[in-house]
Amino acid sequence: MATAVHLDGITKRFPGVVANDDVDLEVERGTVHALLGENGAGKTTLMNVLYGLYEPTSGEVRLDGEPHAFGSPRDAIDAGIGMIHQHFMLVDPMTVTENITLGNEPRKWGGLAVDRAGAREDIVELADRYGFDVDPDARIEDVSVGEQQRVEILKALYRGADTLILDEPTAVLTPQEVGELFNVLDELTDQGKTIIFITHKLGEAMRAADEISVLRDGRKVGTVDANATTQEELAELMVGREVLLDVDHGTAEMGEVVASVSDVVVEDDRGVTAVNGVSFDIRGGEVFGIAGVDGNGQSELVEAVTGLRRPDAGEIRFRGEDVTTASRRQRIEAGMAYVPEDRQERGLVMEFDLVENGLLGSQHGSELASNGRIDWSETRDHAEAIIDEYDVRPPDADADAESLSGGNQQKFIVGREFERDPELVVASHPTRGVDVGSIEFIHERLLELRRQGVAILLVSSKLEEVQGLSDRLAVVYEGEFIDVVDPDETTEEELGLLMAGERPGDDDGGGGGPERTEGGDAEETEPDAPADLTDAADGERA
Amino acid sequence: MSAADRARDALSRLVDASATERVLISTAALVLSVLIGAVLVLVAGRMTTCTAGEAVYYFGMGFCYDPVVVFDRLFLGALGDPLSGGWSPNGQFAVTLRETTLLIFTGLSVALAFRAGIFNIGTQGQMVVGALATALGVLWASSLVSGALGTVVLIPFGLLVGAVFGGLYGAVPGLLKAYADANEVITTIMLNFIATGVALYLVSGIFKDPESAANQTVPLPEFAQFPALLFGGRQDFSIVALAFGLLAVGVLYYVLEHTAFGYDVRTSGVQPEAAEYGGVDAKRTVVASLTLSGALGGIAGAMYVMMVLGTFQTGIPSYGFDGITVSILAGNNPLGVGIAALLFGVLKSGTTVVQFATDVPPQLVGVLRGLIILFVAMPEFFRLLARRVPGAGSRREAVATDGGIAGDRGGETDE
Repeated sequence: MATAVHLDGITKRFPGVVANDDVDLEVERGTVHALLGENGAGKTTLMNVLYGLYEPTSGEVRLDGEPHAFGSPRDAIDAGIGMIHQHFMLVDPMTVTENITLGNEPRKWGGLAVDRAGAREDIVELADRYGFDVDPDARIEDVSVGEQQRVEILKALYRGADTLILDEPTAVLTPQEVGELFNVLDELTDQGKTIIFITHKLGEAMRAADEISVLRDGRKVGTVDANATTQEELAELMVGREVLLDVDHGTAEMGEVVASVSDVVVEDDRGVTAVNGVSFDIRGGEVFGIAGVDGNGQSELVEAVTGLRRPDAGEIRFRGEDVTTASRRQRIEAGMAYVPEDRQERGLVMEFDLVENGLLGSQHGSELASNGRIDWSETRDHAEAIIDEYDVRPPDADADAESLSGGNQQKFIVGREFERDPELVVASHPTRGVDVGSIEFIHERLLELRRQGVAILLVSSKLEEVQGLSDRLAVVYEGEFIDVVDPDETTEEELGLLMAGERPGDDDGGGGGPERTEGGDAEETEPDAPADLTDAADGERA
Repeated sequence: MSAADRARDALSRLVDASATERVLISTAALVLSVLIGAVLVLVAGRMTTCTAGEAVYYFGMGFCYDPVVVFDRLFLGALGDPLSGGWSPNGQFAVTLRETTLLIFTGLSVALAFRAGIFNIGTQGQMVVGALATALGVLWASSLVSGALGTVVLIPFGLLVGAVFGGLYGAVPGLLKAYADANEVITTIMLNFIATGVALYLVSGIFKDPESAANQTVPLPEFAQFPALLFGGRQDFSIVALAFGLLAVGVLYYVLEHTAFGYDVRTSGVQPEAAEYGGVDAKRTVVASLTLSGALGGIAGAMYVMMVLGTFQTGIPSYGFDGITVSILAGNNPLGVGIAALLFGVLKSGTTVVQFATDVPPQLVGVLRGLIILFVAMPEFFRLLARRVPGAGSRREAVATDGGIAGDRGGETDE
């Protein structure tokens, strides 16, 4: 096998910081190479050097042995490099074909007109060659995220890419789509393409890659064969110390009932019943987990509890008071902390700096703001304390929220909410997009709050997370609790069946997936969902 | 380095520019616009015919209009000729400050709504309502008090009436937006027509001054108008009103940057979903900010009645619409509104001086004004743009992702 990409001693300095320090990387043609590292380890910078977005301070890029100096992505594309960014660069109202050919349209009539039929044929042929499932005439806004990603990959291939760089490709995908993506990667490497795959998820790196290079603090700390390593070894390489992937949460000392939800019915934005008569109590010092395939009503239930959505029936009580119709502000003031599912829409004001973001939710009455007046110096100290304690990088309270990477944004939100001195913490996917070291820290803090007698409602699509942390675990399916189980007494396989909607005691399951009703969230309720979901969940199962 | 890279670098530099640099950039833009304007004046002057005696000569060529005179009148004329000796505050300078004062209030009105993410085009209508209410309210109250006491009581009273009625008129589109999901751009434009129409009906009918041919109310008594302190000869400008304006600038800045209400307003303005998450009552914030915005428009109306005209007359000049330009020029920042209003005041008042002093057609003066505003606004416009451009933006983002360069240190004042 030949070396397709060779990065030789790449160093990239920014004022005050060394993002990459003498990194060597060799990628064989026709393989998948994972670039693993924590948030801020320098993975994206290194790939931006390869893609021509940055010029390295020193070092050399070689493709098939030929040295190249890229002045811009244009040069890199011409040399056969393609990069698929985490946030897609597609034009929503345009069709798949138009997006792929944009800027490189085949011409007719001596270059005067776009050859639409020809373009469509090209795309169909290209998709066939790699076994891609895309509809060339669909509009981008109408297709799923997974399909949008395939369009991005096709766009790079259409431009003649031999080497594809994927930046955190699984962050936006459902577990099923992750599986599809990995099949696509296999197909591509079979046909001789080379893939470099940036991730901080151990499980995915091991599953998809042939070789794994680990970066830490801008330096490469090792390259290992994906088949000859363990998650523990990778985690230690990444973090630089031993990481406990299993949490030992000890036994709970339960207090009074803090929150209670009875017979709650919630409709989603389309007026479809998303939560259908759910009841549960959470006691102080207890972690109540909700597991389920995404889109089974978890989001709506959490929004009803936290006051962002009005339930259509039922009652929610918090610290003895009926808060069913209480405003979001009343709930915050009563001691409810909330780590929202969508950090960039809800959890942070992207244009504000971290000082201002640290105030979000506390602006009405707290030690940071009293009598309607904000104490900015106190607020700054507060933000800096969160940054310090939760290891938010870069440690700069004046940085705008949008300049932080997703994992660091998440750490800041978690810090702000955990430090609110809450009675109840509602944590929706608290470690989504966060690197291993920080996941461990967030889990520890969550359990510490629990020891202090705080009630915790934990929703996560990572099975090992809800299973490891919860004292009681509810499995939600199509808006109803299928069962509430003791997570220590239940196996992953049993949970998987419950998540697929198979009620305990049902004997007619017959091995395959259960029957599904059509419509609704067909995307996320494929029969093979549970198996994929557990596979995709990172940090567990070799 | 390719052209695209250079453009991206220039944008990033703009985004990262410090306060001093931004002042320098704006000044350079002003100078550049004057230079280009001068060329336009020369070209226009070359294409006009005039007698040899009237012409000026540059580079051995004769021109009918002299750019030096035009810009001298536009700026120095508007300031009452401070360099020529014998400067008096009663001259054109007072006109400039009068315009500035009114534009501060309408500019603040638009800026506040903008910060809450609401495009209030209704400042003009709120100003008309405030003006009419002030005229009628003060006329009624002036029968109760008089003399110096009357001045002390009636001026705050008049401002209050203007603020209350302007505020109520601003609350209407606010309520419609919050509870009926009606687009505020449409409703405020329609309410402008309603305000002007109803005012015309009332002032040409039951409230008409029988002594006057114009559609106006009975003039306010002398003591019910702003005192002409320091500007003895002027009846249409009062330093007291300007002081109120500067106070309003300071108060609004404080409210936006240092109070929970201001935080709610700004959060709602940039990211309503996050505001909702943070416990902000979106409906209440919409209504409150449009009410406050309307109140500021109403105060502009009250000032216009009690300081400039001394009565309510139909056909109030378009201060409300100019307020939109002032606010955008100021980047919707209250402190910036003060400066932008002054620049606008100078240009408005200078235009009339130019027309008196030269033969330059008013259309050309309008072009010069437009050029200046365009040039001064552009750097700020590109700054806003650059924050959205993936090139300049993602470059900063990627750096921060990988270890420590914080991007823009946008302080609290530069939104």
